[in-house]
Amino acid sequence: MSNIDPKVLRHKVENINTLPTVPGVLKKLSVVIEKPRITLVEISSFISNDPALTTRVLKMVNSAIYGFPGRIASVSHATMLLGLNVIKGLLLGVSVFELMQKTMSGLYEHSLACAIASRVIAQKKGLKEPEEVSVAGLLHDIGKVILTLEFPTEYQVAMNEAQGKGISIFDAEKNQFNATHANVGSWLAEKWRFPSNLIEVIEYHHRPVLAKNAQMETAIVHMADLLVRARGFGFAGGIFVPEVNTIAYELLKLSEGDIKDVLMEMEDNMESAEDIS
Amino acid sequence: MPKIPVSKLEPGMKLAKPVTAKNGMVMLGEGTELTATWIERIQDMDINNIFVEGPSIQTIAKEDAMDSLNTRFSHVEGKPYMNVIKRIVKEHIEGLYE
Repeated sequence: MSNIDPKVLRHKVENINTLPTVPGVLKKLSVVIEKPRITLVEISSFISNDPALTTRVLKMVNSAIYGFPGRIASVSHATMLLGLNVIKGLLLGVSVFELMQKTMSGLYEHSLACAIASRVIAQKKGLKEPEEVSVAGLLHDIGKVILTLEFPTEYQVAMNEAQGKGISIFDAEKNQFNATHANVGSWLAEKWRFPSNLIEVIEYHHRPVLAKNAQMETAIVHMADLLVRARGFGFAGGIFVPEVNTIAYELLKLSEGDIKDVLMEMEDNMESAEDIS
Repeated sequence: MPKIPVSKLEPGMKLAKPVTAKNGMVMLGEGTELTATWIERIQDMDINNIFVEGPSIQTIAKEDAMDSLNTRFSHVEGKPYMNVIKRIVKEHIEGLYE
């Protein structure tokens, strides 16, 4: 039984800048992205002032996650092309990379594959902003980073329980924390002033019917997550494929060919996953 | 497309992805056919592996891949739509070994 109070957990998440376990780079970024009225120019110069960050952002923008034709060679071009919300999400994605590697081996591969799958499905469904959906795919498990970072022992117990009882890591988290990575992720996304659709996707990717405004986006990430697990890319806390939400599955109406295309696209690009980091 | 170490490159291979410098600048474009000179240049760059055209090389045996697929789906057999999804993924994985 858990003795972690979700209120305390939420308080911790909302004060992520004061947590000793959180590395400096993430704190620095957090301060920048939570500003209420940050401009594209400010974000652009924040990235440009850091050569390592610049390299990572450009690699990511030019990767299969976004699937832009041609090459994007400058940060200012990238920010103009992607817009504020996508750039914020992408920055976070590249900044948590090392943290993911450290806290849960395989989580970054899982997230990358999910971002690629989300983009392909969004394009197939004709969504206007497939990049926003791929960022949602990239960040859908961000809550796991915080949980494993702050509560490594408890999280290990949850993972063992998931494996031992054959339950999902989502349910095991509930037993252990009285909250899940979906809750934690959505608190973070709120704190970082991410758009409401992104917050919804993160919060409801395991229960897509609860999404109010972003049903389609949430269903996409739900399905992408499931396909990544089905194919066995990366590791996200447990090895078992969860049940698909039938309403989300019926909403997406993906044909067999669509699903094969998603798998193929992931296959082609996951070989280069280490290059995207 | 296989990713191979730069030491194993041979003339005649074609790039499946562009070779880029650390800052993202394209040094050699996708589809370039490698010559001995290009290979030498690539080996002088700070790059470990590059993508060349051709079928992917699977690192695990097909039987093992199928076993782990079955394990991953072991708790959702017979659940709505899951058998369809499993079959599609299975065919996809089998396709990688052809």
